Order: sequence, then C-alpha cells, then structure tokens
Amino acid sequence: MATTTQTTSAHHGDHGHAAHGPELQHHFETPAQQKEAATLGMWAFLVTEVMLFGGIFLAYAVYRWAFPDVWAEAAHHLNTPLGTVNTVVLLVSSLTVALAVNAAEHGRRTRLLQLLGVTLVLGVAFLGIKAFEYSEKFAHCAGYKTPIAWATGGELLGEQECLVPGRAFAFPAEHGAATEEHASTNKTPHQLFYLLYFIATGLHAVHMLIGLTIVSILTFLAWRGFFTPTYFTPVEIGGLYWHLIDVVWVFLFPLFYLVH
Amino acid sequence: MATTALPGRGYLEDDTPTVWSWVKAWLLTVDHKRIAILYLLSINFFFLLGGLAATVVRIELVTPQGDLLSSDLYNRAFTLHGIIMVFFFLIPVIPAVLGNFLVPLMIGARDLAFPRLNLLSWYLYMAGGIFALSAAVFGGVDTGWTFYTPFSSTYANSNVILTIAGAFIMGFSSIATGLNFIVTIHTMRAPGMTWFRLPLFIWASYATSLIIVLATPVVGITLLLLAIERLWGVGIFDPALGGDPVLFQHLFWFYSHPAVYIMILPGFGVISELIATFSRRRIFGYEFIAFSSMAIALLGFLVWGHHMFVSSQSVYAGLVFSFITMLVAIPSAIKVFNWTATLYKGSISYRTPMLYALGFIGLFVIGGLTGIFLGVVAIDIHVTDTYFVVAHFHYVMVGGTIMAYLGGLHFWWPKMTGRMYNEVWGGISALVIFVGFNMTFFPQFVLGYLGMPRRYHVYPQEFQVLHVLSSSGATVLAIGFIVPIIYLMFSLWKGKPAGNNPWEATGLEWQVSSPPPTHNFTRIPVVTSEAYAFPPEAAERDAASWRPGSPL
Amino acid sequence: MATSKHDTPGDAHGHQEPAHYDGHAHGHISVATYYRVFGALMLLMFLTVGAWWLEGVVAIPRLLGVIVALTIASTKTLLIVLFFMHIKVSSRMSQLYAAASLVGLLMLFIVIMGDYFARGWPPQLGPLP
Repeated sequence: MATTTQTTSAHHGDHGHAAHGPELQHHFETPAQQKEAATLGMWAFLVTEVMLFGGIFLAYAVYRWAFPDVWAEAAHHLNTPLGTVNTVVLLVSSLTVALAVNAAEHGRRTRLLQLLGVTLVLGVAFLGIKAFEYSEKFAHCAGYKTPIAWATGGELLGEQECLVPGRAFAFPAEHGAATEEHASTNKTPHQLFYLLYFIATGLHAVHMLIGLTIVSILTFLAWRGFFTPTYFTPVEIGGLYWHLIDVVWVFLFPLFYLVH
Repeated sequence: MATTALPGRGYLEDDTPTVWSWVKAWLLTVDHKRIAILYLLSINFFFLLGGLAATVVRIELVTPQGDLLSSDLYNRAFTLHGIIMVFFFLIPVIPAVLGNFLVPLMIGARDLAFPRLNLLSWYLYMAGGIFALSAAVFGGVDTGWTFYTPFSSTYANSNVILTIAGAFIMGFSSIATGLNFIVTIHTMRAPGMTWFRLPLFIWASYATSLIIVLATPVVGITLLLLAIERLWGVGIFDPALGGDPVLFQHLFWFYSHPAVYIMILPGFGVISELIATFSRRRIFGYEFIAFSSMAIALLGFLVWGHHMFVSSQSVYAGLVFSFITMLVAIPSAIKVFNWTATLYKGSISYRTPMLYALGFIGLFVIGGLTGIFLGVVAIDIHVTDTYFVVAHFHYVMVGGTIMAYLGGLHFWWPKMTGRMYNEVWGGISALVIFVGFNMTFFPQFVLGYLGMPRRYHVYPQEFQVLHVLSSSGATVLAIGFIVPIIYLMFSLWKGKPAGNNPWEATGLEWQVSSPPPTHNFTRIPVVTSEAYAFPPEAAERDAASWRPGSPL
Repeated sequence: MATSKHDTPGDAHGHQEPAHYDGHAHGHISVATYYRVFGALMLLMFLTVGAWWLEGVVAIPRLLGVIVALTIASTKTLLIVLFFMHIKVSSRMSQLYAAASLVGLLMLFIVIMGDYFARGWPPQLGPLP
C-alpha cells in the first residue's frame, strides 16, 4: 500500500498539481485542454442526438409527403394554444440558461442559482403542460371531455374520438368524403401522425427529464459553491444540452402543431 | 522521437490485499488499458459463442436433409450467429480492444479524454450482451440479424424486443467509445504530434469514430421504433396504416452499411502499422492512406442502397447507389496498392503479425473485388440472398476484420502483457486460419453462383460436395482460432519477457515499458519526427543480425 | 421589423475566426446580445404562428406554408446555436462538429427522400415528373 501512495504522489508531483485547481483531472495537461475536451465531447454527443431525432424527422417527412391531407386533418386535433405556450416556456428557459452560463462565468453565484432555479421551474412547467395535453388525449379515449372530468367522473365527450394510437384509435369522421372510405376501420394514416406525435414528443419529454436532472445537479453544485469564474465547464456543457432540447422543440412545434 | 520512458509501475500490477479489492480494482478501473483488457476478455467470449452458433449451422449443412435442426431452429441458430458476431464482436472488437489500449499510447496521452465514460461503455456493452444472450436463452430470435419489417414486427414470434434492446444498448457503448476517440485525438495529442505525424491506426480510428457518431443513433431510433411497433401493436412501418416497411430498411442500412466500415477501417489501420513495421519502411503514400480512410468514411454513408436493389427501391436510386459503390473501390484500392508498394524493396520479416497482414491483403482483395460484382445491379439481382453474398461479406469481415484483429493482437500482445508468445505456434496458426478460411468460404462463392440461397437448412443433393468442403474448412478454421487462445494464455506464464520494443517498431507505444505504466507517460513526450521513421540502416541491421533459426 | 430585430446579432456574425484552438476564452457574448436574440426568437415564434393562422384564412399553397415554417424554425435554430450555444465564439473543432450534424442530416434526408421521390410514394401517386 505504501508504494501505491508513493508512486501516485510522485506522478502527480511530476505534472505539477500544485499549479492548478483540484478540478483538473490527472490525464489533462492544462485546464484549457480539459475544457476544450469537454466542450468538443458535448458537441460530438449533440451530433448523435441530432441524428437520433433525425430518424424520426425523416419518417415524418416520408409520411407527410405521402399523406398531406391526412396530416392537415389530424393536426387540427392537437392543442395549438398549449403548444404555443410551451414554445414560449422553452424559449424563455433557453434564455435563462444562457444567462446562467454568463453568471457562472462572472462568478455571480446568487444570480446563477436564481437563473438555474427559474430554468427548473420552466422545465417542470413545460412537462406539466405536455402531460396535460397527453392526458387530454387519453381522457377522450376514455370518453370524457377533459382529464379533470375523467378523474372526477364529470362531463362526457359527445362524439367518439380517440387519438391515442392503438386498437381503440378512432379519428372523428367530420371531414366528409375523405374519411368516409375508412369509416369501417381505424387503420388510417391518421394513426401514423399521432404515432409520430407521441413518439417524437415523448422522446423529447424524456430528454427534458434528463435535462432537468442535469440542471438540478448543476443547481446543487452551484449551491455548494463548486463553480468559479475559472471553472464552470459543467454549467456550460449542461447548457448546451438544454439548448439542444430547445432546438428539437423548435422543429417539433411547427411540424406537428402548425400544419395546414 | 525524443521521449523519456521512466520505469513506472505496470498497469497490470496490483497490491490489493484481498480478492474483493482486486476485483474492484479491475471492475471500477478507469485506466484505458485495463478497460481494453476487460473488453478483450468479454469480446472474445462473445466471439466463441458466435462461433458455437456457426458450428451448429455448419454441422447442419453437412447433409442435404434437415436432420439436426428444424427449419425454425436453424433460423434461430444463424440469427444468433449473425447478431453476436456483428453487434458484439465485429463492430466493437478492434476499436474497443486495440483502440482503447493504443489510442492514448500512440498519441502520447495519459488516458482517453473521458475515462469514466470509457468504463461506462464497457458496462453498456456487457448489459447489451446480457440482453441479447437472455433472448437466446429464452428461445432465440428468427428474424436474421437485419430485423426486417414487417417480419420482425408482425410475424416473428420470437424474442425480438430483448434482442433489439441488446443491440440498442450496445449502440450506446460504441457511441461512447467513438466519442472518446474523437475528443482524445483532437485535444490530447502530445506536443509535436501533428496530424500528419499520427500513426495510421489513429487516422483509421478517427474515421471509424466519425461513422459511429453519425450513424449509430439512426439505428438506435430505428430499433426503438421497431420495439414500439411490437409493443404497441401499431407502428410506423405497418403497411396496414399506410406505413412503408422499406423505410425500415433505409434507416437500418443507413447505419448498418457504414457499420461494415466500422468493422473494416480499424483493420486497415492495424494492417498499415504491421506492414510498415515488418518491412522496415516508411509507409508508401502516408497521406493517401490517411485520406482514403476519411474518404471511405464519407462515401460509406452514401452506398447503403446496394443492400436494397431488390426491395422496391427506385431504379434511379439503385443506379446512383451502384455508382457510388464503385467509387468506394478507389480508396480501398489505394490502401492495398500502397501496402504492396511499401513491401517493395522492404526488409520483410515473416513474423506472426506479418503473416496475418499478408493474409489480410489477399483475402481483402477477394472480398473487395466480389464486392464490386455485387455493386453491379444486374449481377446483384442474380445472386441476391445466395451464398455468393455470404461468402463476400465473410471474406471482408472474417478475412478482413478478424485477420487484422488477430494480427494486431499478436503485434501488441508483448506490449499488453509484457510477454512474447511462441512464434512457431503463432506462424502455424496463422497459416491454419488462412487455409481453413479459404476452404470454408471459397466454395460458398461457387455455391452461391450456382444458386444456393442463404438461410436454408435443406438443399439439393448436388450442392453437398461443396457444403461438406465448406464445413470441413470451418473445422480447420475453428482449430486455427483455438490454438492462439492456448499459446497466448501459455505465454502469460512461460513467455519470455518482451522488453520495451520487441519488433523494433516506431511509435510512442513502443517507448514505454511493456506492460506500460498506469499513467502511460511520466513525462509527456515531445514528438519530433513522422510516424514510421525507420532509420535507413534498419534493413541492413536486420540482415546482419539474422542467424539460422532466428525468426524469418 | 423582423430584420431589424435580429440584424444586430447577425452583423456580429461576421467572419472573425478565433485565432487559436486551445480552448481559452475566445471572446464573449454580452448579456445584451442574449436579450436581443431572445427578442428575435419570440418574434419569429409569433411570425410562425401568425403564418399558420393566415394559412387558415387565406388560401396559400401548402408547400409554401411548409417552407415558411421550416425557414423560420431553421432561423431560430441558427440563432440559438450561434449565440446561446456560443458556436460563434467556439473553437473551430466545435464549429465543425456543429456543422457535421447538418451534414449527417442532409445525407439521411437527401438520399432517402430522393428514393421516395423517384420511386413514387405512396405507390398510387407514381414518381415525380
């Protein structure tokens, strides 16, 4: 055991641990190198995220190209006002994250904590609204008008409508001839739209959860005074991740909610 | 290259007081060299499992009747072989074992940029492997390793979800490795290690990592969509809803064709190292080999449609894919020509790694040229889903990747373990593998051209001679794979110490002790010369020191 | 109005490459810029919703609507990536990787959509003229 300690300390002595903060890992030479590695690593990871969502967007493009009318009909049953509100929420959270990185860079701990806190609240708000939208769809499947009505056994939905893909899927036939030919079956491309909607927004929501976890950890670390004006890389690359989630939503919003 | 290699403590050494702490020291290590050893053990384990499945397949094919396996069991056997070999052996093997060990050493870094991510990648690999194996234990999968829809989504009654979960998780493992390599190669090169002084293995690893990072997420989402389709009962590839099953093939091959280059590119890198070292020459056309790796990585993304010539893809797409497939032959040929040009007037020594390298060149040429046949739409339609295709990709994957892996393993074994293996046995097993491999797979070209379809367990009587030849070749091949396991294990106890640089190779990894110290370089080296800077008198020195009985 | 809003950050996006790659602070984006970018983002968002609303009232070719929506989304992305994600002042490598994701997406989309256009999709529509 004694030898271990000796060797290790000798090694550390060799590349001068005294000259820099404790956050520099042993295999890096300078803090700048470590920071560049972290940033580049995050960007390479974001490339994988973009390609991951790219697959879904490609499927979307293929089917929208094939069924433009179905897309227009189906999209009208999404809650565009709530989608718009959520877009605003996410854009504001992006601003707070950008400002948080700035605050960390200038060593303003209180402001950093405030901004990260606001981001957390906004992220949770986004997921709350999203959950409400989902539950609205499920409530319709159960035959109730709103999720609250569903929970309390309140007002029933007049017409049959179920936009959750699956056996029970039933797209309301109100648009005349186009849907009449499918009247006997629920196997219509409308399901494709809603399937893509649930998968894309669901995967986005999963990323939001991961993002919220990251921001919570950052908040905790900031509260513990972990970040200094010379070392705030986690805030920066955590911010990059958060912005990417925002970018994905920037495309999801017009592609699902704003279709004619 | 001016470096100082101080004798540090070897990375294999432990002074852990209890067995438990020793296990912990290995399973929680963040040392890239130890992680490479973990990968070495686990990947070779999967290779043996995949080989076992192949054995079952080859035994069944000895007779024209289906007497050993039912058709359903046969489907599960070749699917297991394909999935394990592709996802759990060929894709990770060279990057995760040799790459993990060598990338930091070769560029003069103390570790990969993200050591903990590296460890995570091994755990992900194991988790993915356990999923895939549990699928096999619960009855296997019968879709083939390609999971084509709607077969895998609607009609298969086997453990598709477990298996794709395994492949999905394994994808993240390879993303972690690729990401680590990219960042490490960009940010952690030693002073003086410019891009054009990098060993060609690093260039190849970098190109591979680019493919991994760009392509793997796409197969991830594709498999996820497939899982959703199976779980939910409705899916986006379902023709009943207006979906297109061919979209699955597009998305799947967007990854899985570049994945072929994930398998072979690092092999190219290994071969470049071996050829240069054992001819004692600066590699011919360094820049061309380096850039051809990048060109293959790029072009590799644009040729996947040649897997879909008969799957209702448009004629125009087929033509474009066919044309770009031809283009890939150019960078591949550049490599082969440059290796042969390096051999020219070189001081060639036929050590074990070099035997593998020369075998690689021959087999890869056959594999590559038959790839051109298959890139021509007309011929491809004739031989689609026949043994011709099977023989082609085994020539590239086994003849290419495995030969390169074994060559690299023998080359860097003294560095990894500090011991030399028995050179005689090494040479014998390299020859046995070469002979066995050709015996196994060359008859399959003939079989395929005569019309023997793949994935059938019964066949007409007239194919039996060739099938028996192939199966007996597989036996020889199996012996060739088992012998190295024995003498390499044996070398750990009885092998003579290797010294820092047993091959008198260039490269930073040969300047540290064997096995290397935990922190690789006590002082980060400064690189002042190009890779493969063999002194002009190296060849003469080789000739002068040759004695009867010393290795060729 | 829209242009004047994001002109300011747009101007700053000239070609001033960082002279070195080694990850030192490459320059900063001021808080004022963040607010301006945010303003532009909000404006673009209302533009895209407005365009959607307009489509419901006036008959506009469907393709045009899609193009407008995607252009606005891409502009928003560009603003976020350049300023919020600091790509404008990042090292050349990070810039390259940010661009790489675009290249990857292009390969995926151009080739696969090209096949669908040429093949005729869905089958009853026939190939594009």
